[in-house]
Amino acid sequence: MNMRKPLALLLAAGLTLGLAACGGGATTESPSGGSSETPAGSTGSGSAETVSLTLWTYPVGSFADNLDATIAAFNEVHPEIQITYETIDYQNGDTRVTSAIQGGSTPDLIFEGPERLVGNWGRSGVMVDLSDLWAEDAASDISAGIAESSQLDGAYYMYPLSVTAHSMAINYEVFEAAGALQYIDEETRTWTTDGFVSAMAAIRDAIAAGTVNVITPGIVYCGGQGGDQGTRALVNNLYSGYFTNEDGTAYTADSAENIQALELLKTMVDDGSLDANTSFVASDELQAFANQTCAVTFCWNYSNYVQYAEQTQFTPYVMAFPSDDGVPELEMGFYGLGIFDNGDEAKIEAAKEFIRFVCNDETQAVECVKQTGFFPVHENFGDVYAGTDEEETKAPFALMSTYLGRFYNLTPGWTEQRTNWWNMLQQIFTDAKDVQTAVTDYVTASNANIG
Amino acid sequence: MAQNAVTAPAERKPKKQRQSQFSGMSKALIRRETISAYLFLLPSLIFFVGFVVIPMVMCVVYSFLDMGLGEAGTFTGLSNYVRMFQDPVFIRGFWNTVIIVVVAVPTVTAFSLWVGSAIYQMKPFTRSFFRCVFYLPVVTGTVAVTVVWKWIFNAYYGVLNQVIGTTGYNWLGEERTALACIIMILFTTSIGQPIVLYVAALGNVDQSLIEAAEVDGATKLQVFWKIKWPQIMPTTLYILVITTINSFQCFALIQLLTSGGPNHATDTIMYYIFDTVYRYNDFGYANAMGVVLALIIAVFSALQFKITKTDNG
Repeated sequence: MNMRKPLALLLAAGLTLGLAACGGGATTESPSGGSSETPAGSTGSGSAETVSLTLWTYPVGSFADNLDATIAAFNEVHPEIQITYETIDYQNGDTRVTSAIQGGSTPDLIFEGPERLVGNWGRSGVMVDLSDLWAEDAASDISAGIAESSQLDGAYYMYPLSVTAHSMAINYEVFEAAGALQYIDEETRTWTTDGFVSAMAAIRDAIAAGTVNVITPGIVYCGGQGGDQGTRALVNNLYSGYFTNEDGTAYTADSAENIQALELLKTMVDDGSLDANTSFVASDELQAFANQTCAVTFCWNYSNYVQYAEQTQFTPYVMAFPSDDGVPELEMGFYGLGIFDNGDEAKIEAAKEFIRFVCNDETQAVECVKQTGFFPVHENFGDVYAGTDEEETKAPFALMSTYLGRFYNLTPGWTEQRTNWWNMLQQIFTDAKDVQTAVTDYVTASNANIG
Repeated sequence: MAQNAVTAPAERKPKKQRQSQFSGMSKALIRRETISAYLFLLPSLIFFVGFVVIPMVMCVVYSFLDMGLGEAGTFTGLSNYVRMFQDPVFIRGFWNTVIIVVVAVPTVTAFSLWVGSAIYQMKPFTRSFFRCVFYLPVVTGTVAVTVVWKWIFNAYYGVLNQVIGTTGYNWLGEERTALACIIMILFTTSIGQPIVLYVAALGNVDQSLIEAAEVDGATKLQVFWKIKWPQIMPTTLYILVITTINSFQCFALIQLLTSGGPNHATDTIMYYIFDTVYRYNDFGYANAMGVVLALIIAVFSALQFKITKTDNG
């Protein structure tokens, strides 16, 4: 029997299966590791006195850029704890962490927000409970809202460093040229839904008249989940709707307020005062804002301000999301450290020491907060930017922090909900489904994952 | 019996001839050479077993488990397979994958053959130039290629819209055009290798046969179908199989350009597997889809072998 054909088929099948299997299994090889020097599960101790830790950080402000100095300062106090770090990006970071978890090669420490640290990995049982850190006096000045959002069922999977409010921004000069500044309250940086509609229409007309040099007033991006907090906040604020119910047991995008908001956005897209782009994610929209393709961005915070500062040849003017009552509720974003449970008590204790140093040490923590570009979670730290060069640029972002609303990002089924959300927006804006049907389908699918 | 007794030694004769290659070698030397041969094979064997065979077996095993992030998994029988055929996203991904394969494979093969036929008799410099031009997208990183295409297709300032006067049209964001765009980009990145292979295969066709046919009055079409085509059939088969597998596994373009959207219009099985693993952490289901995808590829490859009626592979 000629074995070539079966062998060729076997090889083709093997290559495909091999690719698929790379994602699963407790012993699967993972691409993680990078500059990390110690595989998980090993003692990680170079000697009885020395503990080696690995830290992965998502790009939050310039926190990662200054880690060498942070670690050097830490080593002055704790020379026995060696730390190597690696920056992972939002494009591939989750993939790497998932592979690392399945491959048993997670880092010891990771820096990110509660959606991942608590809602995803904490919920999956791969993180260390940090309740002992939260029980210390140093944690007493952290707000109850942040504390509540750092835990699940009483187990704290995250220790926070800094907090911000996700807002939006407008191109001030374009608004001025289009005569749209009349619709915003420059003192409070707020506007009403009616004002928003009028402002966008004014810019649309100014584009048609050639008065302003942008292509579209604004872009509702729905190409993927990146920056989805922007579109959520936009929809929720327009008619003061909520994303979930109060106890976080159901997604409520099908409320009358949210449906009204989505119908308004659809109308605005249809009349040209907004555009919807089903192949744009937030980074595309931010780029379009920076290069003056559009006049507003729905995904703005201080980190983005810094990132696009060199490209913006105009004034990116921070604004709260428009609301029917003029009282916005912004989504909170906070960032901190978590510890992966690698089963090595010495490493876990060493990692906690690092967290204390980075997040609680009055000198170092303030520096680290500044590096993230946000504001301290410790109320006792006060205004860390007072008297600095950044005081003026930080002021509007600090103002946004006064509009923080309900934090719902730890609702079960969050990951699935995120995908359902942008699929729903795509359905609405490509006319694949009417608003009511799309929203009902979204809520049904998302609530099915709450468990 | 007598006849058998006479013929038996004659049947064994070839065996003796085969053994003759070791004549004059001591048993120790033969053993040493055998061990050496296996040692040379060992690195490849370890790689093959470690990165192909074991993952393949693991994939099949995991496909019967319900396994989340950091979990050992619980046996659920065929539930992942049953779920797959009730999952509208998987079904849409399956049909998108089939469309990509059915459109891309013949197009890539035919176009590569056409280009290969056109350039294989050119001067060496010109031939190399064209090979380089068509091979460039292959050696250029996928990310770089997609960035360029994303710019070309951009709704607001994309080159395509500027050229054909459709400013504002979102090529990658419309269900009608998104998959076609993916197939077109896949086409540009897939033709390089087949063209190079066809140029080499056509260059190896026996010229004396062609000249003899031409002397006998054969037309160019007859020369191609009767002489060249049979001789390049092994290359064609290889190209068909490789292009089919690549098309089935089309992933990076989709991840970087459309994330499967809009409305799952560009979802493929491969992308959905990735999504299921890394977004939903549903490893059992993803592996079940991997098994089904492998079977589909095997069936397609078998059909290609059958249709081309050759086992030159």
